[in-house]
Amino acid sequence: MTSADQLREEVRAWLAAEWTGLAPAPDRWSTTPERIAWLEKVVAAGYAVPTWPVEWFGRAWPAELADVIAAEFESAGAPGARQDKYSIPANTVLAFGTEKLKHDLLRDVLTERSRTCLFYSEPGAGSDLAAVRTTAVRDGDRWIVNGQKVWTSGAKTADYALLIARTDWDVPKHKGLSYFVVPMHQPGVDIRPLVQITGESHFNEVFLTDVEILADYLVGDEGKGWRVLQTALAYERSIMGDGARASRHGSIADDLVALARERGRLADPVIRDNLATVLALRELNALNNARAKAAAEQGTSSSVMSLGKLAMSGILHAEARLRTDIAGPETLLAGDANPVADDVNFLALNAFFTSIGGGTDQIQRTIIAERVLGLPKEPEIDRDLPFRAVRRS
Amino acid sequence: MAISAAETEQLREAVRDLLADRCTETDVRRVMATDSGYDPELWKQLADLGLPGLLIATEHGGVGLGAEELEAVSEEIGAALVPSPFLSSSVLTATLIDAAGSEEDKRRLLPGLADGSSIGTVAVTGPAGSWTPEGVAVQANGTLTGTASYVTFGQLADVILVVARTDDGFGVFEVAPAAPGFLRTAAEVFDPTVRLSQFTFADTPARRVGTAGWEAVQKALDLSTVALAGEQAGGARKIFEKTVEYLNTRVQFGRAIGSFQAMKHLAADRLLDVESATSAARHAAADGGPGAIALAGFACAEAYETVALSAIQMHGGIGFTWEHPAHLYLRRARSGAQLFGNSRLHRERYLVSKGA
Ligand SMILES: Cc1cc2nc3c(=O)[nH]c(=O)nc-3n(C[C@H](O)[C@H](O)[C@H](O)COP(=O)(O)OP(=O)(O)OC[C@H]3O[C@@H](n4cnc5c(N)ncnc54)[C@H](O)[C@@H]3O)c2cc1C
Repeated sequence: MTSADQLREEVRAWLAAEWTGLAPAPDRWSTTPERIAWLEKVVAAGYAVPTWPVEWFGRAWPAELADVIAAEFESAGAPGARQDKYSIPANTVLAFGTEKLKHDLLRDVLTERSRTCLFYSEPGAGSDLAAVRTTAVRDGDRWIVNGQKVWTSGAKTADYALLIARTDWDVPKHKGLSYFVVPMHQPGVDIRPLVQITGESHFNEVFLTDVEILADYLVGDEGKGWRVLQTALAYERSIMGDGARASRHGSIADDLVALARERGRLADPVIRDNLATVLALRELNALNNARAKAAAEQGTSSSVMSLGKLAMSGILHAEARLRTDIAGPETLLAGDANPVADDVNFLALNAFFTSIGGGTDQIQRTIIAERVLGLPKEPEIDRDLPFRAVRRS
Repeated sequence: MAISAAETEQLREAVRDLLADRCTETDVRRVMATDSGYDPELWKQLADLGLPGLLIATEHGGVGLGAEELEAVSEEIGAALVPSPFLSSSVLTATLIDAAGSEEDKRRLLPGLADGSSIGTVAVTGPAGSWTPEGVAVQANGTLTGTASYVTFGQLADVILVVARTDDGFGVFEVAPAAPGFLRTAAEVFDPTVRLSQFTFADTPARRVGTAGWEAVQKALDLSTVALAGEQAGGARKIFEKTVEYLNTRVQFGRAIGSFQAMKHLAADRLLDVESATSAARHAAADGGPGAIALAGFACAEAYETVALSAIQMHGGIGFTWEHPAHLYLRRARSGAQLFGNSRLHRERYLVSKGA
């Protein structure tokens, strides 16, 4: 087998020969032809999903070895490596999808030729995701979907959606769900943008009317969608603990010390105290992640693993407060003429992306308490009722 | 010397087993009520495991291990609330002698500390309690004059080191227990598991130990901070575990109280504190740099205090009783948060290490 040092050399040489940089995509929801061409190369080289089986673009390597690749890509600033760690759709489809679905989807997802979005939340089902009412009914070799999704990030640019839908109303809510991949470009998919508190509009409400899905695009078994969803959500939560989107204008540095110095606030004792708090929160999270990773590599489980997303919510809100303190009354202002204030205000609002999106902090705490600490489960009064009989808002 | 992770784990388990047996809550309470504040029997058994000599070189009768092993052992000591001069004698004093002393000093003083037959302490700060050069309130001028406060296990010590101001900065001095003009007074302490004294010197004869100045003192304080951080992480974890256990057994409204979200959510937040403290303490031990030590210095102290406070709240009325151990952890958390420099000092050092 390849040793870590050999691999490092290999990747370094490969990057030196191939990587010449990329103009940034306009935002995280879109891509560019140059980027797709680059990702094609990464996939072909086996660096996109190195831990995956060889027949699906991988090299069947252990995680430690694969991390070497990620590290080299990161220091070169090159994207696309280790999607086996962060791509929700790719990992979900690899784990649970049919051969046809893997064949149709995986390569295009890894190269961003196809983009995906998540059809999970509904007006009546957010935290209580098992309460979805969007319905899929089997019709020969197809499923027909009707219903409404909401808060769907990136729906406008997506080619496929990962859908959780109800396929049986007569059993308790967790048992009547199935998981699908839905092609977005078809009649009956009606996307309406919603304006976010940041003024942007990356999420949407989506109305689904007689939307068709191939039977092969059912992911996992009929009625077993909750399990697939849990796996996909666990991925999402672990990724969301890793970091968050930076500023809107790029006018404020991530370096909070530099920001405080630049604004002449570094000697203010209150600022200093908050600064120490925030820098420590960041560093502690990084140290926790390193411990979680070490535990994972030794094959032991660590309670630290589940803490990243909750920690990140706290960090982002605390950073926003500190930045606001540093910028002061300038945060009264907005717009391109006030880029610093605009960035600070943006970050203060966007912190909710992590503390609501992908499951709220409250839900996350409950999960940690029950699954990690072993505290008694929440009583669920509707757990054993047929879904038809369940109360709704 | 460094040993493998597996060997460190063995050492940790040996200490844990001994403490589970010999330092139960009943033992802690018994020792708390004594004058000396430590258990000579247990101290001997800890010595049999090599603990007092953990950091002392083998040539001076010690085990010659480093910060990471120290941190691991400290987690266990903190978890069991061991009332002992370990931190004071085996960490602070031993390290200071190693950093400041001449070969002769080491040959004479370290073997006794290593086998636990003598107990050391270091008097650093005056009434300011700042553990910084500014805090030192003893003047050396041929003899020593002045006051040192918050001296850990001062009544017990027979190896007594004093940090004093000299013409050329700061020096470390050794004072004989029976030296004229030397008075030690036991302070009444909030946390009976960590004893403190006040030392006064009036024209007290003393012998300078080596020629080292404040850097040697800082080195000893840094290692003590690592050990203390380990104790704090271990103490936080222990009282948190006890709390989670209680949440599963105490029933109200026909349900275990741990099934209520208010409790679950507090518990999840405290788990983050416990794990972060553990990460910080272990990182400080592995890294050894000023930034890592400063981070552990406040993150572990603050986490421990928060976890111990929550533990009392989550236990309700029983947590407010003397009988329940939660307050012993809070006491230890509060005393640790002041010893060898408080959060404010560590936060400032941390910022400086980050270029601020
Ligand atoms: C920026 C952003 C992007 C998103 N992107 C997507 C996406 O792409 N696809 C998608 O499907 N969804 C997406 N979401 C939706 C997100 O997953 C939900 O908003 C989230 O799960 C909360 O659901 P809800 O909004 O219905 O709030 P609710 O569930 O109604 O919650 C309201 C409040 O009640 C609390 N609450 C609810 N239940 C409990 C409970 N059992 N215990 C304690 N407190 C409780 C919540 O914590 C919250 O404070 C996104 C959300 C945001 C903010």
